[in-house]
Amino acid sequence: MNANEGSKPAAGSRSPQRWSAPTMALHWLSAVLIFVLLGLGWFMVHGDLDAPTKFDLFQLHKSLGFLSLALLLLRLGARFAEPAPPAPPSMRDWERRAAALTHITLYALLLIAVLSGWLRVSSAIIPIPSRFFGLFVIPNLVGADAALAANMALLHYIVSRLIIGLLILHIAAALKHHLVDRDDILLRMLPSR
Amino acid sequence: MPLSFALKNKTPRRAAFSTLLLAVLAMTPQSRATSRTNWAIDPARTRISFSIDAIGYPRTEGEFRRFDGRISVDFDHPAQSHVNFHVEAGSVDVGSASFSDYLRSEAFLNAARFNEIVFSSTAVEKVDDHLVRVTGDLTMLGVTRPLTVDVEVRREAEARRARLEFTARAKIDRLEFGMSSGFPVISRDVDLLVASEAAEQ
Repeated sequence: MNANEGSKPAAGSRSPQRWSAPTMALHWLSAVLIFVLLGLGWFMVHGDLDAPTKFDLFQLHKSLGFLSLALLLLRLGARFAEPAPPAPPSMRDWERRAAALTHITLYALLLIAVLSGWLRVSSAIIPIPSRFFGLFVIPNLVGADAALAANMALLHYIVSRLIIGLLILHIAAALKHHLVDRDDILLRMLPSR
Repeated sequence: MPLSFALKNKTPRRAAFSTLLLAVLAMTPQSRATSRTNWAIDPARTRISFSIDAIGYPRTEGEFRRFDGRISVDFDHPAQSHVNFHVEAGSVDVGSASFSDYLRSEAFLNAARFNEIVFSSTAVEKVDDHLVRVTGDLTMLGVTRPLTVDVEVRREAEARRARLEFTARAKIDRLEFGMSSGFPVISRDVDLLVASEAAEQ
């Protein structure tokens, strides 16, 4: 029994099974950003706010959204440049496919979330420039269009809810791998101690 | 500095000229009305504020920080009173720097091109002892439109220096001035409130 436990893939040592440091940094930075965007998105719409605070929070949400787009593109690039560590042999075929599908869907939804948000502010009847953290203006994709703005607002909302669902699945799966399967899937995304 | 300069250079001849000038001024009809008084608004005790509604957005309230106002009151002949206000569009403040910047932009106040908002009265009508109806021209975004303002006036005679307290309310239709951004999501009506104190000059 003890020998068996000791032969598990070492968690402490630096393993080639781990993701690279930049990939880990991008993953966790994105994770924090996505949670902030989801929380901020809810609060700026439903919170009991005065006009200037609401304006500032919307502008912040837009800046953070564009930042998340930059991180997402970097992550997609890194994903193509750096092959994923091989799946643990204990994972069954359908599990691998489900994991791949979840990841691809999550990337796609994150991309749609940013693009629908960008289109929504671009087509808004009240054209408020998207100033990236007050530094420079990010151009609009289209002109004012009330119908498009309404559709994009709805899409942005639906996608945000789908992202929440997939994040729950993603986190539950990571915990299941760590606590139930006792493999190194979660540890691969954590710096070695 | 200008005062000391003037004193130093004040020759007897110039003093005589000044006296003559004052005498001429005293003969003009305007200064013959003894009840006419001139007042300058006290910036520290003045708020030029506005509020505007929008659908799905909290009511936006803001104010203009830089302005200048002069009032000339004839208590015996109220109709001959006159009010003049200059407001800097660029001094708009809604409690958020980026929001204020947005209101300064071409979409709304276009302060880079039209920094001056001017109100100049054309008629003053006394409604009762505390209420005056001021009709005048409001110029904003280079467009001049008539505006009627109800002004509540209170004279503070007991103070060390005479003061005039007044509160003016008006509603502006921003579309009349070509400010159409966001309409109809953002209301066309802008409520204006000027609460001020003026000191006699």
